[in-house]
Amino acid sequence: MANSKNVLFGLYNDDDILIDAIKTARNQKLDIMDVFTPFPVHGLDPALGLAESRIHIAGFVFGLIGAITAMGFMSWISVSDWPIIYGGKPYWPVLSFIPITFELTVLFSAVGMVIVFFTICGLGPGVTAKVLDPRITDDMFCIAFDVSNMEENEKAGLQKFFEETGASEINQKSI
Amino acid sequence: MGSIISPIREPLVTGNKTYNQITEDICAPTERAPSISWVIAFSVANVLAAVFLFTSAWTIWQGVGTWDLNRTIGWGWDITNFVWWIGIGHAGTLISAILLLFRQKWRTGVNRAAEAMTIFAVAVAGQFPLIHMGRAWFAFFVFPYPNTRGPLWVNFNSPLLWDVFAISTYATVSVLFWYVGLIPDLATVRDRARGFRKKIYGIFSFGWTGSAKHWQRWESLSLILAGLATPLVLSVHTIVSFDFATSVIPGWHTTIFPPYFVAGAIFSGFAMVQTLMIITRYVLKLQDYITIAHIESMNKVILLTGTMVGVAYLTEVFVAWYSGYIYEQFAFYNRAFGPYWFAYFAMMTCNLVSPQIFWFKKMRRNLYVTFIMSIFVNIGMWYERFVIIATTLARDYLPSSWSLYSPTWVEIGIFIGSIGVFFTLFLIFVRVAPVVAIAEIKHILKSSGDQYLEKQKEYVQKQQFSEKN
Amino acid sequence: MQSFSFAAGERKFFGICMIIGVISLIITYLTDDPLNSRFWSNILINASFFTGIAFITLFLYAAKILAYSGWHAQFKRIMESFYMFLGIGLIFMVVLGLGTVMGFHSLYEWNNEMLVSEDIIIQNKSAFLNPMWYMFATIVFGASWFFVARQLRALSLKEDKVGDIEFKVHKRMKVWAAIMLPLGGFTSAAAIWLWLMSLDAHWYSTLYGWYTGSSWLVASVAFLILTIIYLKERGYYPKVTDDHFHDLGKYLFAFSVFWAYLWFSQYMLIWYANIGEATVYYQTRLEYYPFIFYANVAINFILPFFVLLRNDTKRKKGTLIFVSIFVIIGHWLDKFLMVVPGVDYTTKKILSATNPEAAAEFSRLIMPGFLEFGVFIGFIGLFGYFVFTSLSKAPLVASKDPYLEESLHHHVV
Repeated sequence: MANSKNVLFGLYNDDDILIDAIKTARNQKLDIMDVFTPFPVHGLDPALGLAESRIHIAGFVFGLIGAITAMGFMSWISVSDWPIIYGGKPYWPVLSFIPITFELTVLFSAVGMVIVFFTICGLGPGVTAKVLDPRITDDMFCIAFDVSNMEENEKAGLQKFFEETGASEINQKSI
Repeated sequence: MGSIISPIREPLVTGNKTYNQITEDICAPTERAPSISWVIAFSVANVLAAVFLFTSAWTIWQGVGTWDLNRTIGWGWDITNFVWWIGIGHAGTLISAILLLFRQKWRTGVNRAAEAMTIFAVAVAGQFPLIHMGRAWFAFFVFPYPNTRGPLWVNFNSPLLWDVFAISTYATVSVLFWYVGLIPDLATVRDRARGFRKKIYGIFSFGWTGSAKHWQRWESLSLILAGLATPLVLSVHTIVSFDFATSVIPGWHTTIFPPYFVAGAIFSGFAMVQTLMIITRYVLKLQDYITIAHIESMNKVILLTGTMVGVAYLTEVFVAWYSGYIYEQFAFYNRAFGPYWFAYFAMMTCNLVSPQIFWFKKMRRNLYVTFIMSIFVNIGMWYERFVIIATTLARDYLPSSWSLYSPTWVEIGIFIGSIGVFFTLFLIFVRVAPVVAIAEIKHILKSSGDQYLEKQKEYVQKQQFSEKN
Repeated sequence: MQSFSFAAGERKFFGICMIIGVISLIITYLTDDPLNSRFWSNILINASFFTGIAFITLFLYAAKILAYSGWHAQFKRIMESFYMFLGIGLIFMVVLGLGTVMGFHSLYEWNNEMLVSEDIIIQNKSAFLNPMWYMFATIVFGASWFFVARQLRALSLKEDKVGDIEFKVHKRMKVWAAIMLPLGGFTSAAAIWLWLMSLDAHWYSTLYGWYTGSSWLVASVAFLILTIIYLKERGYYPKVTDDHFHDLGKYLFAFSVFWAYLWFSQYMLIWYANIGEATVYYQTRLEYYPFIFYANVAINFILPFFVLLRNDTKRKKGTLIFVSIFVIIGHWLDKFLMVVPGVDYTTKKILSATNPEAAAEFSRLIMPGFLEFGVFIGFIGLFGYFVFTSLSKAPLVASKDPYLEESLHHHVV
């Protein structure tokens, strides 16, 4: 593949060691490509300095769209398109519309957020996972560096970093 | 030290597990050939599912006349079953969503299976309104869409239509919530599998790698979906209760119905979770992940919600008297002493009286008692819906139209068959997907694993109870 | 461990509040109609509101013990001080009960022989709606709550002294907590029907009890937030962090939504079925009190919902104070709306039969006036004075609580 990357990665067998290693890497100004873990490790985001996820904004926007769609659609039908009096209630019985408005708010928000999540993460049916090591989804914690355009001495430096921070294995792979 | 855990808490993962052992233990059932007991259970479930297919096909072919519904009792076993299944479908979302917000860590052991149960229960529940329509192939009429019959729209004032939206939303969101949670675990199975299985799990795990940014978004998404699912799960059974409570039928029109239905749904949902989990943990050897502490916590929820339902029953009876409204008073008199007194009696004993046994710690931690109680509650909650629906309808305002109702073989077949459909789906699920959320168990291992609690105890001892204090 | 000192300035502040309350009560009494309905309804609104807050705090406290909830352990003393207010609040309720027995107020239509004699519906309810039962229920239910409250408080203080890593004292607290939940669940409904629902003696709603309880719950959390923020400003509770406020904010948000859910369920069902016996309650309120009726929903639902929807507003003291104050006023207005229309209806009816002149002069109290707010401030002063006094009597942090270390290291995931 044209845009395949050459990745140097170290595997750690404990999450606490991983967090310490990441802190060391950040202190040494190493450019971490990515970190892979079998479960969401507590304290990983601040250690990596990841900005907070903004996925909730998508949820809010989609929810708002859902609410407006539901309320607007029902109101248009009952007031303008085909007004019918049901059970002596007014043409625009807003209390009756609240349940469906609520449901569609939740539906739009949830579906929208999930779609956004899969899209920005690049996940979906048919996507082939770029697995560095199958044990990453089991009990190994991995720090990966992109070494495609690196000099040998830089690579050696990374090698040393892994050894010093207690990586149990160091490997290189093209993905 | 990461998170501090009080030594008063019981471990939620026992057996001195490592991360790798967790993976092995939970993935194993999906990787070995099915056991004999599974095959037998699956065959029985399949036979019952066939009964469901046959009886519902019979209904659709012959018409709803094959049931014993009549001009007075328009809703019988069908809607009873519908509400019962929907109620059972509440526990999964409750465990994953509400308990997440209330920081109850024990939910991690059971949430995956409970969510799956939710989806299957909702899927089964959805069949009943469909069959009840008679012409099930016109079911799409319930959705508002531009049509060729002039601008003819559905009635947005009808709680039955609200139900359509509530249940389809609930089904959709539950599936999303469950599947998003499942993806990392499917990736774990994928990375252990070979050949064809690897391909299949590769497709279903959506290319998950466990990247830090993905985990962060995944956690954020799960939390917000939990936040959305919490009011959603309340709204679903609330809207089911509106089907009854918006009417002017005595015994149906009462304002406590929404929260009382929700409490009842949680009650019956937890009972079904207990029924399933006690068997599952035994057959799949998951006792280290679904511990007695989990079972006890669920029994406490059953006791709590059972008593809440009890408060609601007594409130209803009291207010019926207090209202001074003779029709309302008669409705409750009829429930207790009318032709269906046995249903009322079964409901009261199973739902209000029998869960009180869980005041005793020994009983809460006894698997046999728990299992029997969970069956009791399932029965009691079915009778509750029967009491509300058929008993009330049988005796309305006009004595000349009073009527009685007993199910035909078709109705019984549909009900028993629906249990078969449910179990078929559940049994397939335990074969193909991890029954316990692997990643979430690993996440809590260092705070709730038994080998770590001793260290916690030392820490707390030093901080709180050493000499300097 | 830190202990709280009740500063002179604070004593003065709460003292002034109480004086405002007493003066307002005196003025109300002097300018009132012949039946003193405004005076007594003022007392009922506030007495039931603050007794309810104390009760529901006890209920929440018990629920938290049973649910293995730990993050609040640092400031559980504040909750204890809240629920010990039951002792004071119940005195007022007993006075109101004495009033029904001895007839020195006429808040309740069912307590007026003349009105009951020509009202078959109320006669049928007399097994429940009678002064002796009102008195009995108030005393027995109230005493049982207060008894449990004292047990829990005493055990909590004892734990400070003798607590060890086996947590024996905490396990005894669990027993009392387990008693409290069903006890409170069953009796509070009856108490709420007697104290509040029976003001509209013909009307009934099965949801009324839980609805009122949820309203108290929101107010209780709001008071808790304000107290913690204040004490933190004074330098106490250094280890209460934004994470604790985040969770308290979540409570305020979630319980407000829950309250709105119950409000909607009750109102929508009555509106939808449109049965005269049931709609009359809302009919009166919409006709005479439209402003408070809509303000109730706006302040207690729309405001907390939109302000606290975001995560950061739950962590900021400014927004929390803002919402808490509004919500307390909002739920007090809700109580006003529960009490005053029924009382005014009864008063007018009695006056027209006994004193036509006064009846002609009598007009509904559409909005709470300065006197109502004055009495409310007086009760806040009393509540605050009591809470701060009882805070000063015990260590501010329960040093041997099993969950203390968890609470000190609490992080919102």
